[in-house]
Amino acid sequence: MGGKVTCTLGEVKNRADFIIYWGGNPAECHPRHFTKYTLTQKGKFVPTGRKGRTMVLVDIRETPSAKAADVFLQVRPGKDFEMVAALRALVKGQPVDPALVAETGLTVEQLQDFVNQMKSCKFGVLFFGMGLSMTRGKHMNSASVLALAAELNAFTKFVAMPMRGHGNVTGADVILRYTTGYPFGINLCRGYPRFNPGEFSTVDLLVRGDNDASLILGADPGATMPQPAIEHLARTPTIVLDPKVTHTSKISRVHITTAATGVSAPGTVYRMDEVPLPLRPALKSPYPTDEEVMRRIREAVMKKPAWLPAANGRLAARA
Amino acid sequence: MLRITGGKVYDPAHGIDGVVQDICIADGKIVADVGAGRTLDATGMIIFPGGVDIHTHVAGAALNFARGLTPENQRAAAPFLHTKDLRMGLGGPTPTTFATGYLYAGMGYTTVMEAAVPVLSAKHTHEELRDTPIVDKACLVLMANNEIVLDLLEAGETERAKQVVAWLIWAAKVYGVKAVNPGGVAAWKWGKDAKQMVSPIAGYSTLTPAKIIGGLAAIIDDLGLPHPIHLHCNNLGAPGNVSTTLDSIKALEGRRAHLAHLQFHAYGGDDWHTMRSEAVQLASYFNTQKHLTADAGAILFGNAVTITADGPWQHLLYQLTGRKWGNIDVENETGCGIVPYTYKGSNLVNAVQWAVGLELLLLIDDPWRIFLTTDHPNGACFWRYPEIIHLLMNAEYRRECIQKLPPKALKRITLPDLTREYSLYEIAIITSAGPARAMSMPQKGHLGVGADADLTIYNQNPDGAMMFRYPRYVIKGGEIVVEEGDLRKSIEGREFVVKPAFEPQIEDYLRPLFQQCYTMSFENYPVELERVHGLQMADCLPRG
Ligand SMILES: [Zn+2]
Repeated sequence: MGGKVTCTLGEVKNRADFIIYWGGNPAECHPRHFTKYTLTQKGKFVPTGRKGRTMVLVDIRETPSAKAADVFLQVRPGKDFEMVAALRALVKGQPVDPALVAETGLTVEQLQDFVNQMKSCKFGVLFFGMGLSMTRGKHMNSASVLALAAELNAFTKFVAMPMRGHGNVTGADVILRYTTGYPFGINLCRGYPRFNPGEFSTVDLLVRGDNDASLILGADPGATMPQPAIEHLARTPTIVLDPKVTHTSKISRVHITTAATGVSAPGTVYRMDEVPLPLRPALKSPYPTDEEVMRRIREAVMKKPAWLPAANGRLAARA
Repeated sequence: MLRITGGKVYDPAHGIDGVVQDICIADGKIVADVGAGRTLDATGMIIFPGGVDIHTHVAGAALNFARGLTPENQRAAAPFLHTKDLRMGLGGPTPTTFATGYLYAGMGYTTVMEAAVPVLSAKHTHEELRDTPIVDKACLVLMANNEIVLDLLEAGETERAKQVVAWLIWAAKVYGVKAVNPGGVAAWKWGKDAKQMVSPIAGYSTLTPAKIIGGLAAIIDDLGLPHPIHLHCNNLGAPGNVSTTLDSIKALEGRRAHLAHLQFHAYGGDDWHTMRSEAVQLASYFNTQKHLTADAGAILFGNAVTITADGPWQHLLYQLTGRKWGNIDVENETGCGIVPYTYKGSNLVNAVQWAVGLELLLLIDDPWRIFLTTDHPNGACFWRYPEIIHLLMNAEYRRECIQKLPPKALKRITLPDLTREYSLYEIAIITSAGPARAMSMPQKGHLGVGADADLTIYNQNPDGAMMFRYPRYVIKGGEIVVEEGDLRKSIEGREFVVKPAFEPQIEDYLRPLFQQCYTMSFENYPVELERVHGLQMADCLPRG
């Protein structure tokens, strides 16, 4: 079994001598990653900075990030899972079938060399992006690279971290976990949290047309979701809170302009390593903050008669 | 204004042992008398000061990591439905924040100490604690693997180390200092551990775990923190670790300390096959060391989630169990490992662990120095404390449970020979009066005039588990929050914070070091005071 073996980004800066990016293009998507955390900084235990570090990029095509890499391994599209499986076998010293490895577009020698480097580094880190976690295999791919990193700890220090993206998606994940026990894909219709990604995730609800209305905060599903989901948003009452007009605003019934968090509204943002950072606004905004709008919507909703069944705070059935 | 009449009062801090007397409450405090006002008839009932948990893990990045790692536990957990007055949530081994407050209050506990806070994510811990209702809270900051502090201790710069520790305490907005596996977590960052108290730690030339313990204990006394060094000894959970525990006590050189989850540190034997209880050896030594307190860290059979800053131990547990493993190393400061675990009565090692927790509680002769905990959620969930109380109060029931253990286990434990039964008075000490005193919280753990009006009223019942699981009333800060097993209302809790003295110039020393070690700006590192909800400042009393 795998799990998640990770660290905060300062550990990478101070210790990592072997850095893998897999299915991500930080040069364009996380442009400060190399310079703030992973490559060029001099770390407490990597005093020579870039010279003391080796970087490997695994991706299906040669993106601008390849220029920063010492080694680029081009995997065939949709073959990431197979490549990880072969690596995990090699880490454990088990034989692999060269014909199966060939399907990944790489050779056993290339993978063995990669494994040797992983095992012989002092502190390795594997960052994985949506090119791994959102392509064929999806969460199975994420689970397998997390397991690879966990298993490498039998030989050296090794960690893994997803390259989480835009806005404060990590913050939403963190807060949902402590208030509901789950990170996303949560259904509160029964008065308590239930979790089933694939059933309760936003995209699935919208595609099936299960929900009667949508309230959208800090996201633009109209730009990224499949057409049936977008059509459902347009068909049903949709409310968008956003500092700017988005694709979703254009198909929504109501758009409420809010102050931009971090620019003109205070708050907390969670980094991809879940370290919280305070936001101190530089400007003033004539618009209310997201928090204030949500509070006022909630106050208005609370004035409506309760529809919940007569529930109580019974403590009897705990476990 | 409330007068509670007719109840049998157990208030060990004032030597009151089951005396029928009135208790009066006004403005959230216990007062000598109230004139007219509401009366609560508690005739035939038992009154305790509200429970105080000296060591638990209920909030913070590590616990939240565990929640994400174990959705299967949440799915099996008891739901808390959203109502007009209560927030929804889930129980289970890692309850959600609102459920945590409800579950503690529902069991009659009104104060809890979150025992493992890194400075780097302390902002997040305080956010979770704000959403943990009813109970009052305090935090311990992790310090024994902070490399800035360790570097100073290695260099012998004790005065500067003291300044840095004081600054960090205030930066994190906490109540005290926890030392976890001193040096071992720093070593883990290189995949190593620190198992020998007098061997230098990986990455250092002279600094040993013993020197970290001695150095930090001295700093904490100099600063006069209300709670002494809260020590999680090296070698947690390992067979034969009792020698490490005894050496750790010696490293304190007579300074006061609280030893966390002692059960996990009281084993003999050389490996898993020969592991046995060393509770007798540890308890008899502990009994002579009057400057120490400890909490039990007892285990119960069933599901748990092990969460500890002891990274190397968690890697070992992952390899032993083959179950999921979570690990976060926190830059410069600490690390944390998470492994879901099921304690089984049929497993020899688990059977020994179960016995050791109870043995320590029964063999340590002064209930003012040993407190009830399970190191939640490591040994068992906090909401199972009533089961342990029942085991402590009823030797016959204990015998029945012992008979179910594997016969091989009986040779490795002393529990079958122990006949002591706890009295209600002693239970009130180990669940409230004792921990409150060890935390130096003068307003907690007793029912004297001036105390916070936190109290729990039970229906008397020979079945301790039933009695303590379902209090008749729980009053927090003078408000009735639980009545007949139902949560009646939710109120906000407070948070206790200390500000030890430090020279402001210490920031000039820290800033460049910080820029080297960390990845955020120095100004963003300390927790802003506004983030602490229900702030309650506590005093330091330097012990020069
Ligand atoms: Zn603990």
